Order: sequence, then C-alpha cells, then structure tokens
Amino acid sequence: MSQTIHDPLSRRYRAMGTGLAVAIYLFLLVPIVVTFPMAFGPTNALTFPPKEYSFDLFNIFFHSPTWLASLFESLKVAVTAMTLAMLAGVPAGYWIARNDFVGKALVTGVIMSPLIVPTIVTALGLFLYFSYLGISTTTLSIVLGHLMVTLPYVVVMVVAGVNKLDRNLEFGAELMGAGPIRMFLTVVVPQLVPSLVSAALFAFLLSFDEVIISWFLAGSQTITLPVKMYTALEWEVSPVIAAVATLLTMVSLVVSIVAIALRKGTPVET
Amino acid sequence: MTRISSLRAQAIFMSPATMIGVAIVLPPLLYVLFTSVNGSALSLDAFGAVLTSALFRQTLARTLYVAGLSSILSLLLGFIVALHLARQPPRRRAFLMVLVLLPFWTSILVKAFAFTIILGRNGIINNVLSWILQTKIELPLVLNLFGLLVGMTNFLVPLIVLPVLASLLAIDGAIYRAAAIMGAKPARIFWTVTLPMSLPGLFAGLLSTFVMCLGAFVIPALLGGPHDEMLSNLVDFYNRQILDWPKASAISVILFAMAIVFATPLAVWRRRKV
Repeated sequence: MSQTIHDPLSRRYRAMGTGLAVAIYLFLLVPIVVTFPMAFGPTNALTFPPKEYSFDLFNIFFHSPTWLASLFESLKVAVTAMTLAMLAGVPAGYWIARNDFVGKALVTGVIMSPLIVPTIVTALGLFLYFSYLGISTTTLSIVLGHLMVTLPYVVVMVVAGVNKLDRNLEFGAELMGAGPIRMFLTVVVPQLVPSLVSAALFAFLLSFDEVIISWFLAGSQTITLPVKMYTALEWEVSPVIAAVATLLTMVSLVVSIVAIALRKGTPVET
Repeated sequence: MTRISSLRAQAIFMSPATMIGVAIVLPPLLYVLFTSVNGSALSLDAFGAVLTSALFRQTLARTLYVAGLSSILSLLLGFIVALHLARQPPRRRAFLMVLVLLPFWTSILVKAFAFTIILGRNGIINNVLSWILQTKIELPLVLNLFGLLVGMTNFLVPLIVLPVLASLLAIDGAIYRAAAIMGAKPARIFWTVTLPMSLPGLFAGLLSTFVMCLGAFVIPALLGGPHDEMLSNLVDFYNRQILDWPKASAISVILFAMAIVFATPLAVWRRRKV
C-alpha cells in the first residue's frame, strides 16, 4: 500500500477526476457535518443554518429520563458485548491465525457467519431463539445478540494483527521454557496491543451503533440509544434528534480517530 | 505448523468462541429455518404463501432494483474516488482515506437524519434553490426512490473504495511504464491497463455492496417512501405487525439464499487469490 500508481492521465482528465473526487468526498462528509450546527440550534424548529445558537437541545436530552436511560442502556450493552467479544475473540483469533486443527473450517465458519448472513435474518433468528428461551427483551438478550455480530470482527482484526507479528520473539520465549499461556500473555499480547485496542474500540462502536438487532430484541425497559433514535425518526423529526446525532457522531469520531492513529498506514484492512 | 499445538492449549484458546458459536450464533439461524417450515410440521406453506403474494413479489422486485441501481451508482462514485486516492502520494492518501473512513464509521441513523435535513421539503437544498430562484421551491427529494438511492449510495461508497483501491495499488508500476514506452497515450493506458486490471476489485466491490443492499433496513424505512419498503422491512412487518413468524422466517430464508448466491463468486474469487 505504499506505492502510488503511475497511470498517466492527460491534464484535462486529471482535473476532471480531481473535481469529481472532491465532490464525492463532500457528498460523503456532508451528512456528518450538517447535524453539528443543528444540534446547537433552537428547540422549536429544524432550520439550517439555525437562527440562534445554544445548548438547549443538549439540555433537553440530558434532562430527559427516557433519552438518558437509552444512553445508559447502550453504554452498558456496548461495554459488556465488547468485553465478552474480546475475551472470546482474542484467543480464538490468535489460535486460528497460527494453527491448523480438526474442524477449523467448521468452527471459523460458524463464528464468522454473521458477516455473511444479512443482519435482518440474524435479528429475526435471535428474536425467535431468545423468545423460546424466555430471555427476549432483556438486556442480556441484546448483549448476546451484539456479541454474535461483534465477535467475527474482533477475530478478523486479531488474525490480521497476529499475521504481522515477529515470530522470533515467540521462539525465543519458548526456548526459555515459557508455556503456551504464559508466552501468549507475556510475548504475544503486548506486541498486539495496538491491534487489540482498535479491535476493542471497533467492537464497542459496532455495538453502540447497532440498530437492527437491538430493534428486534428491545423491550420497553431495554431501549438502546439507536433504537430510541430510530423510533423518534420514524414518528416525528424533533430537534432533539440533532443533539443525539451529534453525540453519536462524537463517539464515532473519537473511536475512529484513535483506531486510525493506532493502525497507521493500513486503515484499509478491516 | 506450530510448536504449541497441544490439545490443552487449543481447548483454552478456542473454547469460549466455540461455545458462543454453538450456543448463540448457530441456533438463531437454525431457528429461522425451523420456523420457516412451521417447526416439526415441515410444511412449505409459508414459502408457498409468500411466493404467491403480490406484496412479496413487488417487494422482491423493488429490492433487486434498488440494490442493483444503488450498487452501480456507488461503484461509479467509488471508482472515481479510488482512482483519485491511488494517484496521491502515500501521505496525502492517508489523510484522504480518513475522509472516506469517517463516514464508514458514522452511525447510519445519523446519516439518515442528516439527509432528511438536507433533502426535506424545507431542507437545505430546497431552501438554497428557493433563495436562488426567489420563489418557493419544494422538490420532493426524500421519502421517495431518489432519497432512498442517495442514502444507499452515501452508505455504500466507502465499502467500494476499499477493495477497489487495493486492486488499483496492486497493479505493477512497470506495466504502466511499458505501455508508455510502447507509445500508448494516457487514455489508451487507462482503457487497456488500469480499467481491465482493476476489474476484479470492481467486481468484488459490486457484489459485496449488492449483498449489503439486499438486507438494507434503516435507509429504506427512513429515507424511502411508503412504497419503497425492501425485503428487510417486510420481515419486520410480518414479525411485528402481523405476528406471522413462519412468513417472516420464509422471507428471511429467501433473503439469505439470495445473499449466498451473490456472495459465492466473491468467496471463490477470494480463495483463488490467496
């Protein structure tokens, strides 16, 4: 990924290409930028640009029991799902990257399947399964649903990270008599820290932003922020949503900036 | 392959993920299949009812149409961006990549909300047009097919850029030099080298965005009109409004089968590449 292509283009086409590309960058970024000024607008109207600026919308959000409850529900779910996905996904990713074993294709296929299955199918399946188990509409059911979809991403990112490691350090540790667990914890994990942090952040964000699965599993007491926002958008577009959108974007921005900084140069491989 | 392949170590490393696979990942998928055939009754009634229903057929046709159109549009836009990125020196490319990745990481709800502000009847575009033309303009730009396509394309472009950029950068620079030495003009080089050699990446990008589109849920619900529902929305409708789980499951199984059909060439191609 370090080289640049040398396909020459005449100046006219080059300028045209650049112009189009800039327009597309703007098209991609405009939805993110637009919500910011709206979030600081007045509480009675959604006009762009707002006539006056204030923190009123954030005030409403942070004083609304239902919005706050959904924010905390989302944080609770995302932190738990991220933790579980890391606990299961890091060792599995390491093992899958390094070993051939009986049933490897089957096990990885099952773990990775949520990447291929349309989310709506997963969501309906989780709803039916958890209803059967009697845990539908609980926080636990949402956490498990999010765990199912975050785990494959964690595994993929860990596999990519492990493949970039320098094996000599591990051979050294082994020669010095370290067992597999000890070697994994003292030699592999420290080298993997940047990959692990970005995997964890990605898992957190994936869960924090997840709509469809949460929508199928949500009960009246377990409404995550995206589900609350989805309902709000379906019924009426109230100005408070602009503040919520800005909060969601801030979370994504922080997470992605940290993750991109950690994985310098190779943000392409997700 | 490794020196620490003891069964004990494997059990420690693989058990948690395997348990999740067996207890959480597999059952929901089997449950959908099980429910679609009406449980142990093993009847195909739900499939029959779904396949003969006009609502399902319309929704299926619309899903394929919208998915096709929005993936082709995204491919076009994504290819332009990838070409532009591929020509930049690495440092500037890394910066521009962030502009592509930020939307990729942004909540889909935020984007849907933003487009209602931009495209709505009193939205930014209509206001700007009204100001320029000095008359009240209220173009219907959202809650219809147009709004749906804008939202889908915006969501998909980053997903196209990543594989296409990778395939563009994988082209050996010597080929361009050889073509130039042989006297090919820039346009000729583009048509005979750059485009054909990036076709695998374009093809992969097109298929994966198409599969993504098939399962779209939020964008059609929020940016499409009342007649722009896609298969996912139909599943939600049967699940939530009608409480007809066999039908909801049958549609899910059909959707899943379609995703597999379109994702298979992708998997085969990826395997061959490795």
